[in-house]
Amino acid sequence: MALERKIQLAAYGLFIAALFLAPAFGDEFWLNRIAKYLVYGMLGVAIALTWGYAGILNLGQGLFFGMGAYMLAMSLKLSSPTSLAQGSDTPVPDFMLWNAEPGAPTDLCCINKGSVLWLPFQHQWFGLAMGIVLPVVIAGVLGAIIFRKRISGVFVSIITLALVLLVRLVLVDAQPITNGFNGLTDLGWLTIGGIEFDPYSRATYYLCAASLSLTLIAARLLADTRASLILQAIRDDQLRARYLGFDVPVYQTFFFVVSAAIAGYAGMLYVVVTEFASPTFMDLSFSVTMVVWAAVGGRSSLLGACIGAILINMIEAQVSETEALVEAWKAIIGLIFVLVVLFMPRGLGGLAHSLVARFQRDEQPSVSATAGAARSETA
Amino acid sequence: MNQALALNGLSVAFGGFKAIKNVSLSVASGELRVLLGANGAGKTTLMDLISGKIRSTDGSVRVFGHDITNWPEHRIARAGIGRKFQIPSVFRDLTVEQNIQVACCNKHPSVFANLRFGVSAEQRRRIAEILDLTGLVAVARKTAAFLSHGQTQWLELGMLMAQDPKVILLDEPTAGMTHAETSKTADIINRLKGRHTLLVVEHDMGFVREIAQHITVLHLGEVLAEGSVAEIETDARVRAAYLGSKGIS
Ligand SMILES: Nc1ncnc2c1ncn2[C@@H]1O[C@H](COP(=O)(O)OP(=O)(O)OP(=O)(O)O)[C@@H](O)[C@H]1O
Ligand SMILES: [Mg+2]
Repeated sequence: MALERKIQLAAYGLFIAALFLAPAFGDEFWLNRIAKYLVYGMLGVAIALTWGYAGILNLGQGLFFGMGAYMLAMSLKLSSPTSLAQGSDTPVPDFMLWNAEPGAPTDLCCINKGSVLWLPFQHQWFGLAMGIVLPVVIAGVLGAIIFRKRISGVFVSIITLALVLLVRLVLVDAQPITNGFNGLTDLGWLTIGGIEFDPYSRATYYLCAASLSLTLIAARLLADTRASLILQAIRDDQLRARYLGFDVPVYQTFFFVVSAAIAGYAGMLYVVVTEFASPTFMDLSFSVTMVVWAAVGGRSSLLGACIGAILINMIEAQVSETEALVEAWKAIIGLIFVLVVLFMPRGLGGLAHSLVARFQRDEQPSVSATAGAARSETA
Repeated sequence: MNQALALNGLSVAFGGFKAIKNVSLSVASGELRVLLGANGAGKTTLMDLISGKIRSTDGSVRVFGHDITNWPEHRIARAGIGRKFQIPSVFRDLTVEQNIQVACCNKHPSVFANLRFGVSAEQRRRIAEILDLTGLVAVARKTAAFLSHGQTQWLELGMLMAQDPKVILLDEPTAGMTHAETSKTADIINRLKGRHTLLVVEHDMGFVREIAQHITVLHLGEVLAEGSVAEIETDARVRAAYLGSKGIS
């Protein structure tokens, strides 16, 4: 047990050290790409937290990611030069002007029917706050409804899946205020305390590295609490947990909300790194892809799911440089997923655990019970 | 008399079928009551009603005077009722120790009260004690899914000890056990006596004699008879209804 704990600690330490050493090994363009993968890593953590620990397979995590992204993108859009140079005192997004009715005033208050919603986003802090608050509130309401109604298993997946598609539809449809299919582009840079986060700067990379590290540590601590143990108990047998006096929906909703907050945070970072927000964030394929990352990395291992996300994307980037493999990539990743599900249901993280357990058994053959215990542990 | 558990005119119907009809029953604090009845008599259904798994159509359930009729399960549990299921039900992917630890957390069951690490020294001592009482020390680190049937039953009893409810409902705690396992279970249950009020569903008369003072016989959803072990064993109606011609074994 103690050894396993040490190895786990070492793995987290090494990974975080690697994050901060990476800038020594590449140029700004490479770092920008890696920063993007680190954001995906955060999504891996978010998925593992609900899927691995709560047994809730959210097939619509892109909803929370997209919300975070759009909230910050709205603020950054307003601080972009393109919005400031529209001949009015206050910023107005360029796409609103292109589509404005003749004679409409060039002002956010009333250039079109919904534009007033943009007003508070003139303050960057508002966009930043909403990037977390909106996913949290929506996840809270959604979780409370789903889990109070005792919906579980595949039905939760179907509902979340349907919801992300629905919101995507609305988003595209609300073209006057969301710029529809095109999404929000030509964004300004995030500025905090005088630091400008140029996407191709080290500052931005470090922002992502620090965010991922903090997320990992916070999620790890959360997973070590008694609340997390109770959540895992609920995952195994809801009814039993109820008869012990636990208010099951509250536990499920709490962790669902934490996962949504991580996804929203990741969405904001993504916007900082890539300078756009688009309805593709709410594509079904994106949400499913996140699940594949977590499955390959290990759904019950926070670090595993995180590394899974980063690794798969690095491989994908390599592969897409080879012309012949670009088309085949989707098939390859599909195949990997099937193989993992069939032969390694606990993913890379699970594999690491089994190795540690075997090592431990070889070291102390007398403690045969620990191997069984190790298998049940989640990391 | 200090009544721990009082059922009054409890009834439930599934569709048109009345599974429990006007059952009144009262169990004194510290008493162990055995619930006897043929297959389909409604014993499990009665426990479902008390613990909130199903909602009654009529009547009331009181725990130490508090009306808990048709409350949600977790609130009934918090009011002091613990339950063991007919099909043993434990957290399969957690270790034995973790199972008991989870049950221990029920004193402060909210999420926020549990956003902390580990267990108190006091709880650790309690967990060790329970592992000892249930004979699960050797498998404490084992995942519950890998336990034998008997061990799983004992683990669930251990979880009840950790939960420490005032009233314990046990649904066939010896089902599927060997003779040796059964007698160990009797030991465990006898230890629970006094500290808790127990309502136990049991078929094995030998086992019943080992643990019981009072028996209530349920037949076709109704209370048929109530009395001491000796009274029930000689009751003509019980013989006729429940035991058929075979008599109590
Ligand atoms: N949810 C339900 N819907 C319909 N009928 C039910 C339901 N639950 C139980 N019953 C019926 O109620 C009757 C009582 O069942 P119950 O499980 O309480 O019996 P029991 O006394 O526990 O029997 P056993 O000794 O076999 O466990 C049975 O006829 C059963 O078919
Ligand atoms: Mg039954």
